Amino acid sequence: MGELTLMFSKAISYGSVWDYAASESVVESQRWILSTMQKYGQELVTLLWRILGNEQDVCDAYQDTFLQLAHFEGGQKPDNVKAYVFRVANNVAISMLRRRIAEKNRLPMAITSSKSISSPVKELNSKYLQETLRECITQLPEHLRDVVTLRDLAELSYAQIGKILGISGATARVYRCKAIQLLAVWMNKEE
Amino acid sequence: MKMTEMKTKNKCRRIRAWLYSTISRSFGPEANWLNDHIMRCPRCQRRLVSCGKVNLALSFMKSQPHELDLLMRANTQTIAVLKHSLRSELKAQKLETKLPEPKMLERYSKYGHSLVNLAACIVILLLMKIGVFSSMGQFHNQGQRVMKQYYARQVGEDLADEVFPKDTKPPSSSNYRGFTNA
Repeated sequence: MGELTLMFSKAISYGSVWDYAASESVVESQRWILSTMQKYGQELVTLLWRILGNEQDVCDAYQDTFLQLAHFEGGQKPDNVKAYVFRVANNVAISMLRRRIAEKNRLPMAITSSKSISSPVKELNSKYLQETLRECITQLPEHLRDVVTLRDLAELSYAQIGKILGISGATARVYRCKAIQLLAVWMNKEE
Repeated sequence: MKMTEMKTKNKCRRIRAWLYSTISRSFGPEANWLNDHIMRCPRCQRRLVSCGKVNLALSFMKSQPHELDLLMRANTQTIAVLKHSLRSELKAQKLETKLPEPKMLERYSKYGHSLVNLAACIVILLLMKIGVFSSMGQFHNQGQRVMKQYYARQVGEDLADEVFPKDTKPPSSSNYRGFTNA
């Protein structure tokens, strides 16, 4: 009986040592997530804030981004972490924005007040302009949308955008030009 | 050979500059024909206005401020769903209290003007040290030579050598400090 107790207590102590070693290795292997958060957190929050314009949504999108990063291929570190987090954050934010717009469109017309504002006032209304632009950005094709958000909202250089999206800086410049033209046409139609 | 190469390069540079200015004058956004066309074309006016509107909306989006603790809150919310071992890390605790910091360039931009002034002062001092003092030394040597020649003509070579010995070193720049200050 005494031997059994001894063996059991030994097993428990070995188990706890094993658990401790395992948790240490997890910390070691996933510490880069915290470093990524420290390095790009501020830029990501700025990007998300400018896309979403709502603080709670920003926190949710930020959380989603890092959860996806932590679970990337079973906890592996992506080759280009910056590219990964920026693309994921962008996609998460756009999905949230689309959902929000769809919900807003489901509401009856009377509740959505902006439609009732007369046109010249609308043009000077910064909130209205921002919301319209956000709606238009969600409708852009992915390759153009990524360039616009990374260039104009994250304020990255064309070279950095090229690296993130796997295209050349010149291509990014062309995409941005096309995107602005499309947005201009759509924003005119909105009125 | 090198001279011709240099001339060709200068010519190329001039042609490039001329081409650039001519093209931007004729086809740039400030070209007269373009301005005239836009003044008369309502379609182009509409396009320009709508492009301006997009840029305006983008500026509004960029200038909208958020709460100072947004980064802190986002970090806290994210760290709360990470593995427990990561949550207890010191770095994680620091991230939970992190506030946005201005970028290096933004932080030091206020010193930019003073730095430029300081650099200019250093350059001027260096130029003075190298250029002015070396020419002062040359001037002194030549003056000494002329004086020696004069003495040699007037009182003879031996006496001139005595007054101006050959191993006299040219004066160092430090000798001129008093002179420049005066």
